[in-house]
Amino acid sequence: MATHAAEHSHDDHAHDDHDHKPHGFINRWVFSTNHKDIGTLYLIFSFTMACIGAAFSGVIRTELMKPGLQFVQPYFFNQMTTMHALVMIFGAIMPAFVGLANWMIPLQIGAPDMALPRMNNWSFWILPFAFTILLSTLFMPGGAPAGGWTMYPPLAIQGGNSVAFLVFSVHLMGISSIMGAINIIATILNMRAPGMDLLKMPVFVWSWLITAFLLIAVMPVLAGAVTMLLTDKYFGTSFFNAAGGGDPVMFQHVFWFFGHPEVYIMILPAFGIVSEIIPTFSRKPLFGYQAMVFAIASIAFLSFIVWGHHMFTVGMPLGGELYFMFATMLIAVPTGVKVFNWVSTMWGGSLSFEAPMLWAIAFVILFTIGGFSGLMLALVPADFQYQDTYFVVAHFHYVLVTGALFAIIGAIYYWWPKWTGKMYNETWAKVHFWWSVVFINILFFPQHFLGLAGMPRRIPDYNVAFADWNLVSTIGAYGMFLTPIMMFAILWQSKKSGAPATMHVWEASHGLEWTVPSPAPFHTFATPPVIHDEDLAHGDITH
Amino acid sequence: MTSTRANFDPQQQRAGIRRTVWIVGGIAFALFVLFIVKQFLWH
Repeated sequence: MATHAAEHSHDDHAHDDHDHKPHGFINRWVFSTNHKDIGTLYLIFSFTMACIGAAFSGVIRTELMKPGLQFVQPYFFNQMTTMHALVMIFGAIMPAFVGLANWMIPLQIGAPDMALPRMNNWSFWILPFAFTILLSTLFMPGGAPAGGWTMYPPLAIQGGNSVAFLVFSVHLMGISSIMGAINIIATILNMRAPGMDLLKMPVFVWSWLITAFLLIAVMPVLAGAVTMLLTDKYFGTSFFNAAGGGDPVMFQHVFWFFGHPEVYIMILPAFGIVSEIIPTFSRKPLFGYQAMVFAIASIAFLSFIVWGHHMFTVGMPLGGELYFMFATMLIAVPTGVKVFNWVSTMWGGSLSFEAPMLWAIAFVILFTIGGFSGLMLALVPADFQYQDTYFVVAHFHYVLVTGALFAIIGAIYYWWPKWTGKMYNETWAKVHFWWSVVFINILFFPQHFLGLAGMPRRIPDYNVAFADWNLVSTIGAYGMFLTPIMMFAILWQSKKSGAPATMHVWEASHGLEWTVPSPAPFHTFATPPVIHDEDLAHGDITH
Repeated sequence: MTSTRANFDPQQQRAGIRRTVWIVGGIAFALFVLFIVKQFLWH
């Protein structure tokens, strides 16, 4: 057998089989420079962080199940709300999209790997250290940061020394994101296969190109803001200290100049994913490809000029309030273009409802609910009532969970057979979907009612008038806690004993990623592919 | 947008990557410094 293997070790077949994967666990995963392996690492990291973040939300929802203090003290409750947000935003949602970008961008543009593979390794491996530092604050005297993920001074710097750890971990996350963004931009602008013009790229690639520019523009601003927080606390500066001539409100402006585009960083790649899934299962080309790309770019541009809508109640001139209100409402136009185009893609299509399509349709409906409540929050007079209530919590969870997270799960079900060469159990994937879609609405929809009735956010106790809907919301949360376990079991079973996937996987899949075998070999497109019109994800719009 | 990119030459590609990294990385670093300097001078 050994001789036989040796004889054939240099032929093409063996070459494809062995793929020159690095030997040994450390070499393969710790020193990895392969975009597929690094994508896998990002996705595993993201799943781990999502479970930790979900555990924090479990503490929050359990405490809020009934009025009165039951399980935790208020200071620990505040740590949980702060850490839940930081872990979910920077540890779960963002790395999941970067993981998908790592896996799919080179495959979709016909590149052999990312432009800067060693920097790619560094971008990933910074993250576990950043989050170890952040999570370690839970075990420190004084506990974890408790001033909210927005880190507003003076509250945020009145805590213990966890501030220093928080700032350092945010610096590390920022460095990781900036390096990742540089890599993605360099890859898309320089590594496309001949013939893969910009307007022939899949919308997912477009969405990431625009998102990467958002990251480049705003992560350094966040880094600057938290650096100033650090020097205010430890080095006697007064950037945000009114007693020293500084201005705490200026922090809010700088933070939200980062924070609002950050929201779009977490949703634009989701738009790209849904724009890939819906045409495949509608068996129709994407309606209005160019309009979709321009809509993403418009949303990205608008994201820089609306930050003040997070601060209406802080106090600003009437002209400022009017400007931020109308600028914010303007975002509904390109977003509406996208929603209408997804619906138009499905209109008259030969639809089938495999798991990825179910997640994509749920995205379109439920994200739109989040969008509508966002429009309500954009109205200055109404916002004075909604500010800091559970209505805001309901709004951004519809956007980030049924929006961003649903798209991520849809993407994993969509591309999983290409990654692993195995199909998953479609019935259980549908159970996972329906279970999620029911319990997520039980969890978050009542929070609209609570907010409109006046329940403030970030509190461990509340008036008995809010008891019923809080109980319902907690029941929804407990239902949702089963979903990561369900998804893990479905994917584990698929990896172990799933049916083999074909090269195209889905009947109407288009795009370069479907022209390589399933599972995608360790190295792909070492020779640039010859691109035919039928290989393009959305055809050639110039014809 | 219909033309095929002409520069599929590995050396030109590397030069393009290097140029992109310097420009994009430069913007990121400049923004970081700019916001702190701005706070020093005007707050």
